[in-house]
This record gives sequence, structure tokens and C-alpha cells, in this order.
Amino acid sequence: MFSYFRILRPNGLLIATFGAALCVALPLCVVLSFIVTTSSDVWQHLVDTLLLRYISNTLLLSLYVAIGVACIGVPTAWIIAFYRFPGRNTLSWLLLLPMAYPAYILAYTYTGVLEYAGPILTWMRSVDMPDWVMSPFLHIRSLTGAALMLSLVLYPYVYLLARAAFLQQSANLMEAGYTLGQSRFSVFRRIVIPMARPAVAAGVLLAVMETVADFGTVQFFGVQTFTTGIMRTYYGFGDTPGAAQLSSVLLGFVAVLIILERNSRNRIKYYSDQMRRLDQAAQHLTGFPAFGVQVLCAFPILFGFLIPTILLVNWTIFDATMQSLWRLAWNSLALAGGSSLFIVGIALLIGYANRLFPSRSLSYVTTFIGLGYALPGIVVAIGVLIPFGAFDVWVSAQLAPWSIKPQLWISGTLVAVIFAYLVRFLAVANGNVVSGLSRLRPSIDQSGRLLGLSQTRVLTSIHIPLMRGSVLTAILVCFVDILKELPATLILRPFDFNTLAVRAYELAGQERLIDASPASLCIVLVGLIPVILLNRSIGKL
Amino acid sequence: MTDQNKDALTIRNLTLDYGERRVVYDANFALKPQELGCLLGPSGCGKSTLLRAIAGFQSLTSGEIRLDGDLLSNQSFSVPAERRGVGMMFQDIALFPHLTVDQNIGFGLVGWPELKAQERIRELLDLIGLYNLGARYPHELSGGQQQRVALARSMSPKPKLLLLDEPFSGLDTELRERLASEVRTILKSDGICSLLVTHDQREAFDFADRIAVMNDGHICQVDTPFNLYHEPTSPFVAHFVGPGEMVGAKVDGPRSVMSPLGVLTNDTDLGFETGSDVKIFLRPDDLIHNDDSDYTAILVDKYFRGAHHLYEVRLDNGIVLGCFAPSHHDHEIGERIGVSLDIEHLVVFPR
Repeated sequence: MFSYFRILRPNGLLIATFGAALCVALPLCVVLSFIVTTSSDVWQHLVDTLLLRYISNTLLLSLYVAIGVACIGVPTAWIIAFYRFPGRNTLSWLLLLPMAYPAYILAYTYTGVLEYAGPILTWMRSVDMPDWVMSPFLHIRSLTGAALMLSLVLYPYVYLLARAAFLQQSANLMEAGYTLGQSRFSVFRRIVIPMARPAVAAGVLLAVMETVADFGTVQFFGVQTFTTGIMRTYYGFGDTPGAAQLSSVLLGFVAVLIILERNSRNRIKYYSDQMRRLDQAAQHLTGFPAFGVQVLCAFPILFGFLIPTILLVNWTIFDATMQSLWRLAWNSLALAGGSSLFIVGIALLIGYANRLFPSRSLSYVTTFIGLGYALPGIVVAIGVLIPFGAFDVWVSAQLAPWSIKPQLWISGTLVAVIFAYLVRFLAVANGNVVSGLSRLRPSIDQSGRLLGLSQTRVLTSIHIPLMRGSVLTAILVCFVDILKELPATLILRPFDFNTLAVRAYELAGQERLIDASPASLCIVLVGLIPVILLNRSIGKL
Repeated sequence: MTDQNKDALTIRNLTLDYGERRVVYDANFALKPQELGCLLGPSGCGKSTLLRAIAGFQSLTSGEIRLDGDLLSNQSFSVPAERRGVGMMFQDIALFPHLTVDQNIGFGLVGWPELKAQERIRELLDLIGLYNLGARYPHELSGGQQQRVALARSMSPKPKLLLLDEPFSGLDTELRERLASEVRTILKSDGICSLLVTHDQREAFDFADRIAVMNDGHICQVDTPFNLYHEPTSPFVAHFVGPGEMVGAKVDGPRSVMSPLGVLTNDTDLGFETGSDVKIFLRPDDLIHNDDSDYTAILVDKYFRGAHHLYEVRLDNGIVLGCFAPSHHDHEIGERIGVSLDIEHLVVFPR
């Protein structure tokens, strides 16, 4: 109880909030500061040779993924929102399952089954399949292949937002269209579609943000984009400023995407909030049409979840050599668990600061922290590595007179890793905590106090029970995001410290795709939990 | 067929089910061209379902709906909503949020020549008094302005009949009263036959030429506002359209009853047998406060209504009645005040 009052002291809470904001700002500022520094020779070389390729590949990949997620997400959302048929409720949440897959794991799995010596092509050769049938399978390792993998795991963003937009449209709007003499087709074309457009745009933009931040998939498929370029500049050429400069160009992309996405979100607000839901206007399907839509909805589930999961389970049980899986699992568990507890703790401080000392500057700071999630992991890693490395050099210089050997005091430790996680995932934790706190209206506190509860009792008997669900969700979502995270962990981890994601990446890099499957399967299975939670929290829709 | 040609809207023996539940029983109702009608009733009485049946969003169990003599729907046939020529203004306004005021009003004008459509939009904007707001989006308008745009939109394709589904219920009281009569003026000037659904008796009186009062799925009475108030044909209608009290009485002649207030005489034959027990319905305007009257009663409660007082007085025989008094006659509760009867027409129900 004593500590509760200490936490409540304005200075402590506010310092924590602004401190967290500074943490998020640090890598951002570091990376951006390299825009104005003089460019290295390697950078000049990049501009002359590779930059154009990075830009065009990133743009092309984004375009393909945008088309891909829209083509999968919108029709499925449409079917679920406007039709009633056997299996509709089950399909509506099965369609979320591919979210559990990081795109790179999907890429490893499909490559494993489609490679030249793999079962599919071996069978195709045995039946003398013509080349033009076999060649798309052979060329899975390409930009198109990467776009396909990313689309298969990212379409649920579009599906979710579009479905909500379709369901939230007032049935009265459609009926108003009919009473104005418009046919069903005309009502769809002139009312339903334009009103869902901002939601679809927001979903597509989220998918594109994930695409430009993706490292594992494009690296494995050998597609030269910004993220692989940053990695190559950093490791291959050992040119940190060059990597930072590439990072800041990538940030420019991300900034544009954020602005577009915010814009769409604002429009969504005007377009929902009507009275009678569309639900009552849904059409019932039976027989062949019902079968048709069932098959259509089953496709993305089949390719985005079912087939790869069956393959992973199969390889894990029968083929894979499970070297040190327990050690990897423990590393991942401890790192993700500890980090997510820490991050959610910080998020709680920020949440209470906003609640107890609401001010405009504080809400700006909180919005700013929200941007961390949009930063690509590899950019965060570079942005953390540079100042931490500088700090190590400085500390070593200070300690030199006492003849203490220079070493990596923080940059090669888990501190750097956790710091990067904080920057990237604080926004996720914050969102969940804020939504929990918003349920605790001030009048609840006040009525508790008026009924004779002390400040402390208000916390223990009102806040904690009401907040428990959202805090647990926050921890869980953070946990899974950290588990899936690849590039920042890869760059910042201490020497010889491996996690499931890093090990899967390494094994895949050595073409030991089958052996990567146990680690991959662990990530996917744990990744399912928040998807199921998500489905439960939107189940009322 | 001759009487059908005279009526714009005809509803005959209409029965409607909502799922398993019957919500409208054997309803009969008609509207003349350019007439403003109203379905008035408490919530859940089936009035909105009846309206949706006319619009074409609700299938019929039995009966028929005709517009200008043409069949719109019966139990086996239904003209689709978009081909009925019936406009509708919705309870939640239902303006298209992604379109401007101009585009909303012009939404039903596809197929009109461009110039004529522009002219119609301008004409309607003038009519609703928003001629300079055509480029705004719905969320940039006030509640009352949105309401008027919704009205203009539903009028724009010149529907043969306009339906209004509690269009004012989301607004605050003052705006609601002003809009009801404003909308009446607009519709009258355009000569559109219209049907309003509401649970608010004052809104109905402000708006309609003729009102059908509904209760529990039945149409109880179709009449002018004046007649509904002064000559209700059932206790439900009597109570629903305004305040009043039932008092027991005995018929003692073809035109007179013996009541606790003395012998009351009607202007026409009552139609009850002499000697039968009846109830009479007395409105506050039947009993007026008069300081000069010899007949007195005790003031037990009072409500200040601005232009007048509504008093509740207890007569010497214990009966409590409402009584209107001029605004400046401000008496104290418990005071004994003079009252006198002012009854032209008796409202009598069997007991």
C-alpha cells in the first residue's frame, strides 16, 4: 500500500512516461540523424548500384501484397457479412488462423515441400508434368513467392476490418437506397462498397507496413529490399552509417503509410455508428451456392494454415532432428516472458499517468509511443546498436586507466534486446492497457471512495479485478510478438544466445528446412493463443 | 373500384407477422391524394411494421396494399421496394455519410437529365432552407439540418407516397415541435401524400390531417385530430391522445346522464338505454376554474404549463378531476376554488 502512494506521486509516473517516450525516440533520432551526416563511400556505392533495386523491389512487393490481401480479405469478409450458410460461424473465425504464422515460417515450410527434391516436384517429374506447370513451383523463391507468403498471413487484417465495416453499415442505409428507386446492384455499388473503402484501405496499409518491415521472408527468398539491404550493408560491408541511412529512407516509406492509415481510420469513424445493423439483411444460402462460398472461404485457411501446419507437425514427428529444442524453448520463453512483463509494467505506469494527470502534452507523448510499432524491427536494431555501442566505447575509455579490458558492456547483452523490444512493442501493451483503463470511469473510483473505500482498497477491490483481463491480454500479445520477432533479436542478441525464431532462421539459411520445423511449430502454436483471444473479443460482432 | 380511384393509398384487411408473432391484425386505412396521415400508437403496437410493409420491406400474411389503385403487395405478390415509387424518411436519418448534401439529395435522380436533376436539387435545397450548404457532408450539419436533408432526399424523385418513420424522435423537444410543423408546410407545398409514424400525440396533431390510432396491432380509430381528442370511440384512444379522467354515471334520458357532477346533457342522442351504467370521460378543458362559481373544489395538485395551469381538484364527493385555469390564477394547494363545467359533447363508454 505504501508503494502504491509512491507510484501515485506525480513526478514518478510522469518521469516514467516521458522516459519511455525517450526510449522510443532514441533509435528513431539516431537513425534520422544520419540523414544529415556526410555519406560514406559505401553509401555512394549503394546509391549508384543497389538503392534503386531496393526501392523498386520494396514498392513492387508492397503492391503485390496490397493486391493479394485485398483479393483474399475483401471477398471472404463479404461472404461472411452478407450471407448465412452452414459452417459460416466456424469459417468466420478459422479465417483468422493464418495470423498465427510469421511469413518467414510459411516461406520455410512451402520451400521445404516445393523444392526440387521435395515430394511435389518429385511426383510431378515422375508423371512427366510439362515444364510450364512445374516452373511456378520451382520459382517459389522469388518476389512473387514472397508476396504470396506475405499475403497468405497478412490478409486477416483486411478481412477483419472489412468484415467489421460491412457489418456496421446500417441496414437503413441500404433500405434508403431501395426507397430511392435503386436496384440491389446499384445499392451495393453506390453505398456498401464506397462506405467500406476506408476500412479496406486501412487493412491493406497495415499489411503493407508489415511487408516493408519483413526481413525473414525476403532474406530467405533472396529478394533485395530495404530490410535485406540494411542487413547486408551492416554485416556484409560493416558500414553502420550506411545501414542507418538506408533505415531512414525506409522510415520515410513507413511515415507515408502511417499518415495514409490514420487518414483512413478517421473516415471510418464517420462511416460507422449507425443504428440497425446489416445482420438482419443477410441472405440465406443453401445447396450449391452455399457449397461454393464454403469452398471460397476454405481456400485461404487451407493454404495459410492447414497445409503448412500438417507439414510442420509431420516433419517434427517423423523427420526432424531436434537438437537442443528445450534449451531454445526455454531461452525464448524466459526472454519473451520477462520482456513482456517489463513492457506491460511500463505500459501500466503510462496508462495511470494519463489517467491521473491528463494533459495535452501527455497524450501527445502517448500517441508518439504508439508509433514504435510501425518501426521495422531491423531499423530499431540499428537505432539501438549505434548509441549502445558508442556508450560501450565511452565506458571502456573511462575504465582504461584502471586497466580493465574494454568489452561490450550493454550492446552485446540482453539489455539491448529488451530495450529494442520495449521500443517496438510498448505500443501493443499500451493499447490493451488503455482499453482496460477506459472501462474504469472516474465515477467508479469516486463512488468507491464515497462508499468508504480507501485509495488502496479502490485499487485492490475495483481496479485490479477490472483490469486483470486486459493486462493479461497485453502480456500475452507482447509475448507472442516477441516470440515471432526476428531481425532485432538476430542483430542484438548476445553471442551464441539462440531463440526459436533465430534458430529456425539459421537452420533455414543452411537449407535444413525440415530441421527448422520443431522451432517453427512452437512459434505457430503459441501464436495461436492471441488469435483465439482476438476472436473471442470480437465474437459479439 | 370507384372508391379506390379516389384514394391514393389503400390498405385492406392487412395482417402482418413478424416471425412467429402476429403484429398487425386486419388493418384498414386509406389516404387521399395530398393528404398527410399519421399512424399513432405506443411503442410495439405494430405501426412501424405496417409502415415497412407499405415500403416493401415486410411481407404480408394477408390483405392488400394499393397505391393509386395499383396493387403493391398481397400475400403472394410484392412489387420490389425500389419500383414502388414510395419514399421513406428513416428514424436514424440514414444519410449516406460518404456523399455531400447535393449528392445525397440527387441519389435517387439517376436517369434524370443532368439539368433537370440539378434543378430539382436546387429547388429542394431552397424548400428546406439550406441552399448554400449543398457541398457539405452530413457530419458537418446539425441534427435539424440533417433531418431536413433526409426529407429532401426522400422527396427528390417525386414519390407517389412518402413514409416517415418516427423521423423526429432522435431530436430534442424544442426542435422536434418546430420541425414537425415545418415538415408539414414543406410537404403541403409540394403536395406529396405522406404517412407519418409516431408515438408522440403532439407531433401527430402538429403534422397530420388524419390520424389512425393503433394499439396491440389493431387500428382503433381513424379520424381528424380534433375528433380524436373530443370524440374518442374507445377508452384507449381517449387516454392516449390527452389527459382526462373516467367517472361512473347512469343514463337517465336519451341525451342525459346522472353523474357525480350532477345531470349532464349531450347535444345529440347518446345511443344508450335509459338506466344503464356507463363511464363518462372528462378532459381538463371540460372543467374550468371560475372564481365566481358557487360550485367549489379543493386544489390537490397543480402543474404550471406556462400559458395555463393544469389543476387537479377534489370534488366534495371525493372524485379527483383535471381542470385548466388561466396562467395568472395562481392558487395554493389546499385552497378551495370555484369551478364550473363547460361540456358541449359527452364522451360516454359502456361500463
